[in-house]
Formats: sequence, C-alpha cells, structure tokens
Amino acid sequence: MGQRLEALSGQALAILFALILGAVVIVAVGENPVRVLVTLLNGAFGSPERIAGTLLQATPILVCGVAACISLRAGLFNIGIEGQLFMGGFAAAWVGFSFSLPPVIHLLAAMAFAVFAGVAWIALPAFFRTRYNANEVVSTILGNYVAVLVTSYLTINIFKRPGGLPETPPILPTAYLPEFFSFSRLNWGLFIGIALAIGAQFVFQRTARGYAISEMGANAKFAEYGGIDIRRQGFLILLASGAVGGLAGGIEALGVHRRFMEGFAPGFGFDGVIAALLANGSPIGTIATALFFGALRSGSLLLEVDTTASREIITVIQALIILAVSAQIKLRRGASDSMAGERRWKF
Amino acid sequence: MPLAVELRSITKRFGAIVANERVNLAVERGKVHAIIGENGAGKTTLMNILFGLLQPDEGAILIDGVPTVLPNPAAAIKAGIGMVHQHFKLVQSLTVAENVFLGMEIRKGLFIDHRAQSERTATLSKQFGLEVDPNERVGLLSVGIEQRIEILKVLVRGARTIILDEPTAVLTPQESRELFQTLRGFVSQGMTVLFISHHLEEVMEVSDTVTVLRLGKEVGVRPIAGLSKAELIQMMVGHAISFDRRPRQKAKGAAVVEIRDLWARDDRLLPALRGVSFDIRRGEIVGVAGVAGNGQAELAEALSGLRAPSHGSILLEGRELVGRSARDIRAAGLAHVPGDRLVRGVDRHASIASNILMGRQDALPWSRRGIIDRSYLTRRTEALMRRFDIRAPGPQSLVKSLSGGNIQKVVLAREFSTEARFLLIDQPTRGVDIGATEAIHAEIMRQRGEGRAILLISVQLDELIALADRILVMFAGRIVGDLDAAGVTEEELGLLMAGVVPERQRDVAGIA
Ligand SMILES: Nc1ncnc2c1ncn2[C@@H]1O[C@H](COP(=O)(O)OP(=O)(O)O)[C@@H](O)[C@H]1O
Ligand SMILES: [Mg+2]
Repeated sequence: MGQRLEALSGQALAILFALILGAVVIVAVGENPVRVLVTLLNGAFGSPERIAGTLLQATPILVCGVAACISLRAGLFNIGIEGQLFMGGFAAAWVGFSFSLPPVIHLLAAMAFAVFAGVAWIALPAFFRTRYNANEVVSTILGNYVAVLVTSYLTINIFKRPGGLPETPPILPTAYLPEFFSFSRLNWGLFIGIALAIGAQFVFQRTARGYAISEMGANAKFAEYGGIDIRRQGFLILLASGAVGGLAGGIEALGVHRRFMEGFAPGFGFDGVIAALLANGSPIGTIATALFFGALRSGSLLLEVDTTASREIITVIQALIILAVSAQIKLRRGASDSMAGERRWKF
Repeated sequence: MPLAVELRSITKRFGAIVANERVNLAVERGKVHAIIGENGAGKTTLMNILFGLLQPDEGAILIDGVPTVLPNPAAAIKAGIGMVHQHFKLVQSLTVAENVFLGMEIRKGLFIDHRAQSERTATLSKQFGLEVDPNERVGLLSVGIEQRIEILKVLVRGARTIILDEPTAVLTPQESRELFQTLRGFVSQGMTVLFISHHLEEVMEVSDTVTVLRLGKEVGVRPIAGLSKAELIQMMVGHAISFDRRPRQKAKGAAVVEIRDLWARDDRLLPALRGVSFDIRRGEIVGVAGVAGNGQAELAEALSGLRAPSHGSILLEGRELVGRSARDIRAAGLAHVPGDRLVRGVDRHASIASNILMGRQDALPWSRRGIIDRSYLTRRTEALMRRFDIRAPGPQSLVKSLSGGNIQKVVLAREFSTEARFLLIDQPTRGVDIGATEAIHAEIMRQRGEGRAILLISVQLDELIALADRILVMFAGRIVGDLDAAGVTEEELGLLMAGVVPERQRDVAGIA
C-alpha cells in the first residue's frame, strides 16, 4: 500500500511539475498564469452547465481510458482507440438512422454494432500480433488514420444528408442514449463509463481471469509457465479493448451528436490512452484523470473568450504532463529495486 | 599498513528487518576476502553500503584508513571501489568495448575513438586474463563473457578494490575456475577482492580470509588456511550438516513417466535433444547430470510443454503429453520447479500469495465461479509459508524483497502443494544457502516418499549423488550414461559429462 501511495504521489508531483512549466509558457506568451488558471476553473466548474460540460467531455475520455487500461494490464498497447471510436461511432449512427426499431431494442442494437465495429477494427492488428508477433503499437496507430478516412468517405460519399454539412442524417429518437438535463447533452454514457471502470477494476483484482491477465502483463514467461495461453489471451484482450473503444464511439454518436459527422470526436481516443497511463493503468484512477482532462478541455472554451491565450495552450500543458509523467515512470523504474507499484510497459 | 577497507559497526534496517547489525569487516590489501552466509544473511546489503548504493543507519566506513562517506556509487568509484552485481546491466546492441567505456567514452574531437577503446579493452583483457573480443556485440555472448565485461567495466574505472556479489551463481564450473584464476591475478597485482558466495568449496578454493554473516550479524573472521569445511558450515548455519547420500528403500513402483526417442531443437533451431529415452518410476528420483548446454534445458522445456518436441513421445501415466499445452500438461499431473526461477518461476513484483496462486487460479477452492477466494488464498499461503519455512512478514510481502532461498521456497511451496504425480525439478538449490538447501533436499525426499516420480536436473553433482536413485548423464543432446547413484563417484560422472564414454557404456549411449 505504501508503495502504491509512492507511485501516486510521484504521479501528482509530475503533474504539478508540468503545470509549473505550463505557467512559465503562459508567462512567455504574455498572459497571467493565475488569470488563466482562474478562467480555466471557472470554465470547467463555474456553473451547473459548465460542470455538465466538463462531465460531457470526460465521458468519452473515460471510456477510451478503460479501453486502454484493459490492454495495458496485459502488457499490450492498443493505441488505436481513436480509430475504434470512429468506427464504433459510425456503426452506431448507421444503425440509428437506417433502421426503425422499437425504442430500447434500437438503442441496444446500435450499441452492439458500435462494439462490433470496434472489435472488427482491432481484429487485424490483434491477429498479426498474436500470430506473427507484429508490434501492435504500430499497426493500431496506422488503423487510426484509415478509420478516420474510411468513416469520412462513407459520410460524404454515401450517407451524406441533403444540405451542405459533411454529416449523416440524424438518428431516430428510438436510438437516443437518454440525457439527464434539458440544458446539457450529458447522458447515460457517463454512468456506462463509470460502471466499466469499476467493472474492469473488479475483474483485474478479484477474478481468476483478471489474475491471468495481470500476470501476463507483469511477467509473460511466468504466465506461460503457469499454463496461461498468452497468445490466445492477448488476442482476446486486444479484442476486448477494441470493443470498449468502439462503445465509446457509440456513446458519442447516440448520446451527444445523434449523427455521425466529420471530425466526430477529435482526440478522445488519444486522451483516453494518456488518462490511463497517468492513472498507472488503474481503471478507477482513470475516472479521476479523465475528469481532469475533461475539465481542461471544457475550461479551455472559456479561455479563448476571456483571455488572450489561445486554446492551444491546453495542448501544450497536456504535452508537458505526458513528458513529465513518462520521465517520472522511467526514473522510478530505474531507481532502487525496493520501489514497487510499477508495471513494465514498453513505451 | 592500513586496511584496504574497514567497516565499523555497520547497522542497516529495512523497516522491521535488521539486515545488518553492528557488522565489522576488515579487509587487508592484496587479499581475496570472502563473505559467506545464508541467503538473507545481509551480504548484499553490506556490499551495497560499501558501494554507496545504500546508506548505513549507523557505523563508519574507512577506505585506506581514512573515514569516508559514500553518498552514491560515483563516490565509491572515486574511492577506488568497484562492484559487479549479480544481474548484469549491459547494452545488448553495443560492442564489448563500447559497453566497457559506456559513460566514459574516449573521445577524439567530437567522436568516440572506437579504435582506442578497443585497444584499451584488449590490453586490460590480456593483463587480467579476461578473454573477450572487444568488437563483438554483447547480444551474441554467453553469461560468462558478460560477466568478464562487467569486470572490465569496473577495471577501466580504476577500481583497486573489487566487489563480486555471488559471481559464480551464473557460471558453469569451468567458467568459475577461470574466474578464480582472474581473481588470484588481481591480488597478485596488488588489488583487493571482496568475494560473496555461499558455496563453501569456492570460498575455500579462492579466498585468503573469510567473514561469516548469520542473520545480519558477523559471527566470525578466519583465515582460510587451516579452516575445515565442517567448521565453516558450523559457523554459517549454527549447526552441523551432512551432505551424505540420503538413506532410502529401493523404488519398485510402476513407471509413471515413459519418454521415448525424444527430439527437440533449441532457439537457434539446432537439434538440442537427439533421441532421449528413459522411464521414471513411482517414488523414484532420476537425476540428470551434464555440463550446462547439453540439452537439459530443452529436456525440461519439452517435458513441461514450453517447447514443442520435433519427434518422440512422453507418456505420463499412459497419457501422451507431446502436442499438449503447458496448461493441459499441468492438469495431467506435472509440477515444475523451473531452473531460471527469477524469469519463469515467479513474478518478482507480486506478493507471495499471488505467486502461490499461479496455475491454479481457475480451480476450486482457489476460485469459485471465476472469483478468487482471497481469504482462502491468504490462509493457504500462510500455511505454506509455515510448512516451507518461508521467512517473510506475511502473504502480501513482495517476492522481490525476499532472499534467493526464500524465493525458491515460494516456488517449491506452490509446486509441491499440487496433486501432481510427476515433479520436474530443475536446479532446486542454485543460489540458495546451506540451511535452505538442507530443507529443500529434505522436502524432495519427502515428495519421493509420497510416491511421486521425480526428475531432478542439477549442475551440482553432490546434490545428485545425495538425492537421486539413478543418474542420467547428458552430453550433446544424448544420454551417455545411466548409473545407479549409490556408489557412483563425481570423477566417474565428470568423465561422462566431458563426453568420454567408457567402453562398457557404449551400448547405452548408442554411439558407434
Ligand atoms: N531494499 C530492501 N527492502 C527491504 N528489505 C530488504 C531490502 N534489501 C534487503 N532486504 C532484507 O534484508 C535482509 C538481507 O538481505 P540481503 O542483504 O540481500 O541478504 P544476502 O545477500 O545475504 O542474501 C533480507 O531479509 C532481505 O529480505
Ligand atoms: Mg545477496
């Protein structure tokens, strides 16, 4: 427990360090860091609408983060969540606007297609990883670009709704993921994300399967020796990770946009991976880090309105956080062997 | 003349554990000074303090008679102290010379002067008899040579006192002998060597003086001359131990394991097993002797399903194991104590309980409907820790915080608490101290008494002679000798291991 605390405080220190560096950058572009921070906080939490906005942004990051946690746990790195999210989003929207089904069934069918699309999108990288030991990082990243282009092509050339915008027709209300409030798009997706995080944590910590997955991630040779079929399990884990990535897209399509469009969910997949890494691969921890990134995103909207700083400053701060955290993980790993709590990811 | 190194009343605590308690150590210049003690006695801790990796809670360090504070290894290197750790840290993609000079490259202008580095490496290598090719890539070299590179690294950094922490644990007997010559060479050139080991023979062979640690305390310093093995063991463990052949009744049971004409390739796809056949009976220990690299590792992997045999048959109680997964083979009744225990045998970063669970996580009562029964796991782990005398604070202690002997006991506790009829035991006491070795041997004999069929692979001949009923000798992938262990001598085994096949054994070996 003490060691976990050590890992956590290391993470917190890294974020603090990144924020201080961020402040320096803000000063360098001629703004006042305190003002920027206050504006960010105000933008993220200043009113019920803004809090809902933060949660709305955090939802896809959380779901994508859980997808990342699943693969990281097994020592695998699905960095193609962005692509799975696009495919899932498109598949869900397609079911949503193409069919007419009874209410609950329509929603479930659309979600199922989102999951299926995510699985389909990672199936090839997973196969090559399992069969030929091809690096899944490279193949899943490549999949991202293809997914964005494929969905964009389908939207513009085949399913475009009449009118000027590059988007599909809206989905039918029977496939809507219900909202909570009249003033925000915040929807059931948030609960789905939290439930997934808690569920993943439970599986990892309490179940035999979760044990096998964790040991595979910690020491694959030991797992193999103990009779765990690491190829088969690795394949299934990548599919599961892709499934959750696809679901994230479904939630965005059915709960927020109610259609599919170009630039559908920019960067949520990547933010999810970072949120998971920042949480040290812990699904529960990802709830917190996803919230943090959601707040940064929604706070940055007000930033452009109220200050001279541009929204890109947030991107800079995120990049600094990534650097600080990976440096910190590296340092901790290199330090004396009495340190624990680390998992051995290959960056 | 001042002592090369003197440690005065060093105390080091890790939480509740006192790893070193008022330890004194006086090392004369130009001597090989051995530090011996059971696993967990505090040897590594003491050396890490001398190398600046750990800070003592109390006590003083004197180097060449001068009180010195060593806040980090850089300070120790500056004071002329070098350390070769048990686990090497070489860059596999660089050459030998590049590794030796890593972080202190010889430069010519902006560039690294590779030629000068190679020459300097070659000179040092010749001076101390550490044969290496400076331009070879490290990734291609054996562990024995990697160790030489680590020693060269220490030498170029100007060390006059060299610490070697259990250097022989990774070496073959031949390599160990070469290492000892090198160490004698160091002292004849005025350097000082601190040699950590728990192998009595080695310590007696190579060192001038020995300091014995037991449970964190220093229990004696003796010159080797005139010291008997029995005295040394007495000091180490506090009671006398015999390594004699264990008494037994002849195994008369049916064959549990039948291996026929087994062939397998190694990682380079060269044939490593060339038609191995033998049986193991109920309650019989079959030993496998051989110089490392003659097919023993591949035999163990083939039997446990971790390497697919290219030909042949393995029957366990009449059921074919060839072509089945590691999981199926375990389910069919194999328990396996792997030779490379830190790689395959444990997850060092996990708790003892978590390590005990491996392989049985899907079975009742360890888990129920897929959910692990954590209270059962804790209780079983506690019971196994008592039964196998695993010394650690509790089931949640991390394996990496344990000493080598205790880590091995965790592996044994897991594997010997299954229902398996066939125990495959590879190097059970490598890197394990005398006290734990004694306990492990007793445990293996108990398993024999319970009627299990045991295959014991070991590089230690005295271990095989003490435990085995029959000893198979492997050479170049074949079994070149099948001897009754009662009455066999180490010399006889040694000849067979070297590939010298006596006339009367040619039939067995099948060599024309
Ligand atoms: N970094 C550490 N944290 C906690 N306990 C440790 C640490 N290093 C060693 N110990 C404990 O100190 C004792 C001495 O260990 P060590 O010096 O490694 O023994 P040896 O090298 O003689 O086998 C052991 O009980 C070990 O578990
Ligand atoms: Mg040690």
